[in-house]
Amino acid sequence: MIKILYHLIVLFLTINLIWYLFREKQFWAQVSTAIVLVMFLLRLFLIK
Amino acid sequence: MPIKTKIKKYHIIAVGLFGLAALLCGLTGVRFKSMHQKDTFYPSAGLFRQLKLSDYFPALADTPGDTDVYCFKGDERGGNLLILGGTHPNEPAGFITAVLLLENISVTQGTVFIVPQANLSGFTHNDPFEGNPQKFSLVTPGGLRWFRFGSRLTNPIHQWPDPTLFTNAAGQALSGAEVRNLNRSYPGKENGHLTEKIAFGIVNLITEEAIDLSIDLHEAAPEYPVVNAIVFHENSAELAAIASMSLQMEGLDIRMEASPPSLRGLSHREWGDFTDSMAILLETANPSHGRLKGKPTEALITEGKDPNYVKAARLGMLFVPYGEEGIPIDERVARHLAAVEALVTGLQELDPDLVIEIEDFPAAPTVEERGIGLYLHSPK
Repeated sequence: MIKILYHLIVLFLTINLIWYLFREKQFWAQVSTAIVLVMFLLRLFLIK
Repeated sequence: MPIKTKIKKYHIIAVGLFGLAALLCGLTGVRFKSMHQKDTFYPSAGLFRQLKLSDYFPALADTPGDTDVYCFKGDERGGNLLILGGTHPNEPAGFITAVLLLENISVTQGTVFIVPQANLSGFTHNDPFEGNPQKFSLVTPGGLRWFRFGSRLTNPIHQWPDPTLFTNAAGQALSGAEVRNLNRSYPGKENGHLTEKIAFGIVNLITEEAIDLSIDLHEAAPEYPVVNAIVFHENSAELAAIASMSLQMEGLDIRMEASPPSLRGLSHREWGDFTDSMAILLETANPSHGRLKGKPTEALITEGKDPNYVKAARLGMLFVPYGEEGIPIDERVARHLAAVEALVTGLQELDPDLVIEIEDFPAAPTVEERGIGLYLHSPK
């Protein structure tokens, strides 16, 4: 159960990041978002 | 009414960056996943049978904690020995000593059980923020053999989340992350976390196979006081003394450390308390394990050379002699081999019924002089 909850939280934050990536107009803010997104994608797919 | 979306420049950049993030994720993912590929071992012709830890605790079957157990049995009855490597997968001398033994020995009297990767899950990842290499190689006559350099702890993918405080089955309260440390989880719990189940399986193995002597192979930082040491439970104090004297006579400086009765959850304490086995833990000095190390590289793991440790030795901050030549893995493995041999010999001195005759035991001086590779099977 706790793993599903964890997945849901990470999924929610990942979708938020992607949404932010496409709405953000400043280039460097987009780059920062993309860098953070890498970590979230790895966590989402439980790659460690 | 159709929805009109104007594609702006920042949308195109977002698509590009998203693609780049996905690519980076894929590339790093491949590297991370490579740690999940199992190491290949080549057991000697003397192997009697290969088992799994789940044979002693079925709940471990098909879990990342189920690991191989190699059994070498002689024709004559004698003592039963367990050698455990890879309790901490970032302490390679313990792991490689076990591999070296399982790829060489044959037993004519008594039984030897070898578990080279006690915490198999710990081999599937690195310690975060340490920058350690994922693998290291050793030269054999037929080419390079690669081995994983893992983490001290079980992979959080396999056991999560950590509690704030972990109280182990022996009642010792520890920091939360120690819940994934196999050598803090003994005697284990039948219904506990994965690491506690592994510990439970190992204790079951010791009990079911009536192991007389259990040896847990480790490494520690040169600045750690318990290093180049035999850590012994009080039930094996006499044996440790015999082995220590024998090693000192061979010119191998080794200290004796009594297992503290109040330090619970460790192999040298709980194996002795919860089973009839004599419990021993061996430590060698590994600079790649220490806090004073420089860049953690594959060379540091195998050659054990680090200028910081040379300085520390000059300042008298280390518990082992350390020079420019470092402490190579050949020397660390040779120390473990010499200690195991001395303990096996000591066991039969204590009780003539517990003779364990091992043939083709890799000779410690040769390993130190000519390298581990000489005794390792060539890669296929």
